[in-house]
Amino acid sequence: MGDSVAGVATRARTSEVDFALIGHQESWRAAADVLAVLRGPERTPLPDDEIKDILPWIPPRAVCHVDIGSIVGAKARGLYIDSFIPPDRLEAAYVHENIARVRGAAACAIKAGAKIVSLGGFSSILIEGNFDQLPERHDTVFTTGNTLTVAFIVQGIKKICALEGRNLRRSTLLIVGATGDVGSGCARCLAPIVSSVLLSARNVERLRRLAAELQADGVRVEIAADLQRFSAEADVVICAASLASSSLLLGRIAPHALVCDAGYPKNLSPRAEMLGVTVFFGGLGQITGGMKFAPDFRGVLNRHPFPDVVHGCLLEGMALALDGRFEPFSRGRGSITQERVEDMETIAARHGIYLAPLYNADGPVEDGLLLPDGMGVRMSAGIPRGSGPAAPLS
Amino acid sequence: MEPLIDVNCSAMECTSLLASAPIWQDILAQAMTGEVLAAMNYASLSEICDDPAEVADALEHAEGELGHAASFAAEGRKIGVDVANNVDAKHWKRLREAFLRCIAERDFIGCLIVQEIMLESFAVASYSRVGKVARGSLGETFARIAAEEEDHVDHAMSILRTERALDPQRFDDKVYRLHLDVMTTLAQMLAKECRDGHCEVCHASCVKPALFDVSLSAAELRGASLQQYLKTLDMLGIPGEVTLTWVTQLPV
Repeated sequence: MGDSVAGVATRARTSEVDFALIGHQESWRAAADVLAVLRGPERTPLPDDEIKDILPWIPPRAVCHVDIGSIVGAKARGLYIDSFIPPDRLEAAYVHENIARVRGAAACAIKAGAKIVSLGGFSSILIEGNFDQLPERHDTVFTTGNTLTVAFIVQGIKKICALEGRNLRRSTLLIVGATGDVGSGCARCLAPIVSSVLLSARNVERLRRLAAELQADGVRVEIAADLQRFSAEADVVICAASLASSSLLLGRIAPHALVCDAGYPKNLSPRAEMLGVTVFFGGLGQITGGMKFAPDFRGVLNRHPFPDVVHGCLLEGMALALDGRFEPFSRGRGSITQERVEDMETIAARHGIYLAPLYNADGPVEDGLLLPDGMGVRMSAGIPRGSGPAAPLS
Repeated sequence: MEPLIDVNCSAMECTSLLASAPIWQDILAQAMTGEVLAAMNYASLSEICDDPAEVADALEHAEGELGHAASFAAEGRKIGVDVANNVDAKHWKRLREAFLRCIAERDFIGCLIVQEIMLESFAVASYSRVGKVARGSLGETFARIAAEEEDHVDHAMSILRTERALDPQRFDDKVYRLHLDVMTTLAQMLAKECRDGHCEVCHASCVKPALFDVSLSAAELRGASLQQYLKTLDMLGIPGEVTLTWVTQLPV
């Protein structure tokens, strides 16, 4: 038996699991990198066609252990569990299949004895709806992690405005996907501190309800199911929905707008014809008390240009585990308030979990930031990725 | 988890069994070879059992596997083809040799792991897939035998779980050693293309490229088999992150 296999086998039996993170890969490239790590450096990486053939058959399961630390000395042990949703099967046609996969992943977390489980990306669907889709469990609690995601989006918006010298109070804020859990949470947090709010989503009835709630607090609100109706008016945009094409939003946006890509996978990229628009990836945090993967998936599971950067939804479970608060902090849809966001920010900050440096597909958006591997202030093309084959997976 | 590729066969999609008889002939030959080999394995197992009840069990299993082989041969006759088996074909021979090494060591648990966890995972998954696309009694036979093989696995599972509880590390190490031996061969058998020459079971050229004509594919059979194998290892209690590494390191 190879050392790494033996090591993991031993760890699996001897360590208690405080938290579990459930996720899925955002691209075939990311999936290829995960499989390349599992195969080990001594084996040839799997060809692209084999990866696409094999991955859909892998049942949900733990991929690695994750040990984290807090700046105040707390430690927590966790598992990353992948539901192995194929990256090209995230659309509605596969929703039942994907829910079955996430339920399988949740069952793995329960079986492993995780005290708290964060549901990343699509996985949050299990507890965002009106009915409980979780497997039977006893002592395991689940959180969508959306509250900390909202916190980091809001912090990111404030930071980018400060960096760009914009006055948020004079801004018109557009939220795409406004009736979702993250979108509505952002609306509640930011509406009181902007000039006006434009809400866009497909469900008009939910839009009306959210608008009424905000208007009751004296906020100027407009709603539209058609994104094109007012995207040109906004100078600050949060995109909290997956768009079929980034041009639906970016193709019509106002020059010099600030855009937070808060979706998963992140697919808003600045293009030449949109010079002046600043896009950053929102909802990301950085854990400064330390994070170790076993086996070593650094830069592979967290594919960001800065170390120890993780999606807010997953960091929420880590923060709660470090704090010893094993409670379903975020669940349901539309219940994220400014007070809850502030509570979560406090818990996260207590353990050294802060907003990540702002970046986008072209690199850092904060002038003066140096990438850890010395790639320079602004990269010309693409963010650094993990190891693996350089084949043309998308 | 349910199968993830929809292979439900509409009348339009299903080709006539007679028209595709040469393809079914090879599929049946592989299945029949597997059953004959399983019968030989159980007969060998009976020789190292001390408990008369275990001896009777093994011989009953051997008889059952021969019955399955006969069923496959009968299905061949219905569509006008002779179904041959070849337990000396290169891959099957290696699988038999791996089993015989366990016999030589009088390793009853090792024998169960090879036959029930590894070979039966392959049989259950692939027969189930074939059972879904093959029409009439051919499909029914594959589906019935898949269900019967699954019962075998259930029976072995309780013995193996009890064994694992005694010393999980030792048990997992044993499974891993056997995995390297047996699953590497199975992975080569299940590769999308037979790159290392004729398998010595197909009656003419390799059947794999023709599987699409009967709504199957080599990739699908491999995927389903590996999925079944991982689920079976999960049921044994071996950590999922460990078995994931094992499977991803197999040759393709």
